[in-house]
Amino acid sequence: MKRFQRRRGGVITTRLSGYEVELLTSLVHQLVELVSDGEPEGLRPAEESGDLFEQLTRDLQVDPDEPEVSDDPVLRRLFPTAYPHDAAASSDFRRFTERDLKVKKVRDAELVLGRLTETGEGERDLKIPREEADAWLRTLTSVRLAVAARLGITDAETAEQLAELSDEDPRSFMVSVYDWLGFAQETLISAL
Amino acid sequence: MPESEGESVVPAGGTAVVERPAEEALTQTPWVTIVWDDPVNLMSYVTHVFVSYFHYPKAKAEKLMMQVHTDGKAIVSDGSREAMERDVTAMHEYGLWATLDKSGD
Repeated sequence: MKRFQRRRGGVITTRLSGYEVELLTSLVHQLVELVSDGEPEGLRPAEESGDLFEQLTRDLQVDPDEPEVSDDPVLRRLFPTAYPHDAAASSDFRRFTERDLKVKKVRDAELVLGRLTETGEGERDLKIPREEADAWLRTLTSVRLAVAARLGITDAETAEQLAELSDEDPRSFMVSVYDWLGFAQETLISAL
Repeated sequence: MPESEGESVVPAGGTAVVERPAEEALTQTPWVTIVWDDPVNLMSYVTHVFVSYFHYPKAKAEKLMMQVHTDGKAIVSDGSREAMERDVTAMHEYGLWATLDKSGD
């Protein structure tokens, strides 16, 4: 891909290959699946129906079999603990905010998927209106955090070790994806 | 014993004067939003988030970003607990690792 550029009218554009469109679309789909626990539809109607009572009832439903804090390092990073020294406050915070946070992540991701579809598998330029730039940046961040967690990047040291992998290492493909996402994000920011 | 009673009044009064502001300070203690360093988020992105969400001038946003980067964390906002919960949620939307805490803890 080329660097993102800003055009007249504030639209930010770049050209992605068909392969890049396919790859990013797949990663963002995986993010939506993960965040919504395989049910993105379940995160849509609540907001649209606006039924406060219904929403409250659902927020207060606690599935006793479901651990509150996920075992999955990706989910733990996407939905961090807000009060590290107060388990009860953290639990309340999760109960009242996590669903909205999921809804927002899915909504951001869907904007991204829509713009990717408009490229016609890379036939046309990718065009991002200025007001959607933050949704793109947030989604690229979520995907980067997910890839980093899967690669075991926990600190600067592990990140550096991965940068020196040989091409034969099975992780080298994911590392190249991670670098590509970083390039996309960096040039999108500098185009703003 | 009037004398001792007199003595006991003085410290009690003194204590009350000392205690009241302390209690007020406790209930009014602002909360803070803390952003922690992580190995994934780009420096340019963290700065962008501070400008975009908090509307901080670029120089202040960069200073906070550098503090996160070098010290491992930075206090990025303070205020009521409700306001800080909103800020922490917003930081989580942007994928930054944020927590809230009482000021001074």
